[in-house]
Amino acid sequence: MDFALTDEQREIRRAARDHLERRYPATRVCALAEGPGGSEAGAWPELIRQGWLDDDLGMVELALLAEESGRCLHPTPWWTTVALAAPYARAAGEPLTVPATFADGAPDGAAPTGAGTVRATRSRRGWSLSGQVPAAPQAGAVRCVVVRARTEEGPAVFACDTGSPGLVVEELSTLDTLRRMAQVRWDGTPARLLTEPARTPEVARLARLRGGALLAAEAVGVAAGALDMAVTHARQREQFGRPIGSFQAVAHQLTDAYVGTELARSLAYRAAWLVQNDPEGSLACAQAVDEAVLVARDAAVRTCETAVQITGGMGVTWEYPLHRWLRRALWLDAFPGFGDDPHGRVAERLLRRDDAGGITPTTLDGR
Amino acid sequence: MNLHDDPAEAAFRAGLREWLRSRLPDDDPSRTWSTAQLREWSHDLSEAGYAGITWPKEYGGQGLTAAHQAIFAEETARAGAPDHINIIGMNMVGPTLIAHGTDEQKARYLPGILSGRTLFCQGFSEPEAGSDLAAVRTVARRAEPDGYLLDGEKVWSSYAHLADHCLLLARTGPAEPKHRGLTCFLLDMRAPGVKVSPLRQLNGDTDFNQIILTDAPVGDADVVGEVGRGWSVALSTLAHERGTFGVTLTARLVAQFDRLLRLVREVGADGDPAVRRELATLHARLQGLRYTGYRSLAALRRSGEPGAEASILKLEWSLLHQRVCALALRVQGPAALLDSGDAAWQGYWQRQRLRSRANTIEGGTSEILRGIVAERVLDLPRSRQ
Repeated sequence: MDFALTDEQREIRRAARDHLERRYPATRVCALAEGPGGSEAGAWPELIRQGWLDDDLGMVELALLAEESGRCLHPTPWWTTVALAAPYARAAGEPLTVPATFADGAPDGAAPTGAGTVRATRSRRGWSLSGQVPAAPQAGAVRCVVVRARTEEGPAVFACDTGSPGLVVEELSTLDTLRRMAQVRWDGTPARLLTEPARTPEVARLARLRGGALLAAEAVGVAAGALDMAVTHARQREQFGRPIGSFQAVAHQLTDAYVGTELARSLAYRAAWLVQNDPEGSLACAQAVDEAVLVARDAAVRTCETAVQITGGMGVTWEYPLHRWLRRALWLDAFPGFGDDPHGRVAERLLRRDDAGGITPTTLDGR
Repeated sequence: MNLHDDPAEAAFRAGLREWLRSRLPDDDPSRTWSTAQLREWSHDLSEAGYAGITWPKEYGGQGLTAAHQAIFAEETARAGAPDHINIIGMNMVGPTLIAHGTDEQKARYLPGILSGRTLFCQGFSEPEAGSDLAAVRTVARRAEPDGYLLDGEKVWSSYAHLADHCLLLARTGPAEPKHRGLTCFLLDMRAPGVKVSPLRQLNGDTDFNQIILTDAPVGDADVVGEVGRGWSVALSTLAHERGTFGVTLTARLVAQFDRLLRLVREVGADGDPAVRRELATLHARLQGLRYTGYRSLAALRRSGEPGAEASILKLEWSLLHQRVCALALRVQGPAALLDSGDAAWQGYWQRQRLRSRANTIEGGTSEILRGIVAERVLDLPRSRQ
């Protein structure tokens, strides 16, 4: 047992933070949030140059990049690319190096919000897609949409370029304007098959584990970024002749936010490590991902709310950047991409009646 | 980064698990242990090589890592093993003597602490010195030629009714600033002028004691560290407590949560959506606490100091344990009204529910701990002068 980042992982985190802090100060992020697409066009080549899309990045490394992205609300479609689309491309053995996202046109079970219906048909010229998905994240800012669509043999996964004929993307007004949802429609659009129907359920299950771990990691970063802002403010802002951070009523709220953020960080790193080292995505791994998601979402929302409270009248203005972090936290809390109910799944695994004593909290991760 | 046991850790865990299984076949939370049984248990631990796990070998310890200590905590909690009867000697006094004691003190006390023969208690808190520990009023008056006489009152002292010796903080320099005139002593609990009486807690149990000192003698040879430097000795004692203590508490809470799951199934509350949601939240936060403890152990291994994360372990542990115990009564419905022999599990959860109320107070109140995190971790300005 050695639950610590390696020197190399620390270096990746430091480099990521340097890059993002230099390139995206809060003022720039706020400006981009109100501009077209809600992200920086032209940022991609630099991300590739810095290795953010490297094929050999492990899950812990990706989690660190996602955390740093959350901390400064990294305004590019990097997260949707690696957390949503890349797990499918990866399973198909195709490196994904263009900005991409995922749209679910063949949801299993009860359709979560944002899922639609897309049909894939095969002709001599190859596969083509028709249908729509009402809300896919960042679809207006990407060049490739990975889509799960129905075929006669069951759901399969396809990729199509956003410039393809018959593909229409319509951006929706979105709570977090830095991660806009868009409606996507396909009408006889040519597409490339990534995963056959037979493999799709398993590939989708593993993709959700990768995505869940990276959602948790981003949420940790969002919490950490908001906490930083609030702590800095509490050190500097004076009332009654003292910095407000010296008042226990203020300091203790920040401490509680710190506690939630640290628990979430531990769970997010653990989930990332398990996904990396348990390629079959066992029950223990799935449980760890759900735990990370539910604690990290909660930490992000609570910490952002606390930060607004601590920054007071300033914190509730449009000009003060904090509401962008709160919006991202709310976005992450509501995003259904990995199944809607992590609490329900965690409880189900804890309470299953058929458990012959093998799965308990103490043994769940095989220790 | 590695979240699994390395080969040496895995072997240690397997050996310990087997040893525990042979001695404690069932986790029976309502079992009560007599003092004689506890002494025997501690003796057996020592014989089997499970005492002083992180103590250096030259002092009779096992010379193993904090990770081994964590494994010991997890496996003993899982098996429902009781506390080592000399837990204060083992985890606080021993490491303090290794760091600050004289050769004579080490030779005299350490072997007995390890074997469980010499039991220790701790005399820090007083009626007027709780969170503000440096305000202790117990006075050590010089008694020539070679000692002191102690006068005062100590409270919340676990095991004082059984202990042979007490690590005690007293004021030797009444005129000096409050953190300076303090000295740490090793007091013989059988000395004249030492009177121990039980403190009854709100749940009816008597885990703690009051110690009244009236001209109780200690010698110069019983001073730990230097005269007037007792505050830094006390801080290092408390730091030892914080090192792996959070991990130990967490391991117990994981076992306690397993018991809660058992209860939830027994009373048929496992279909209740509100119960399921609370269980999921508690379980997830508990795992967060557990892995935060592992992060702090990794930092301890690298730098010799537990990381900043360590400061939140006790704080979060206390809140989670209170929620676990609260849920355990809630799922019992009206049956929660009963107690002791008439209640489920012989009233185990009723006792725990009431006992857990102290968790956010003992060993550093949540308010003090939040203050520590605010100042030392978040670097916020001090709230008091």
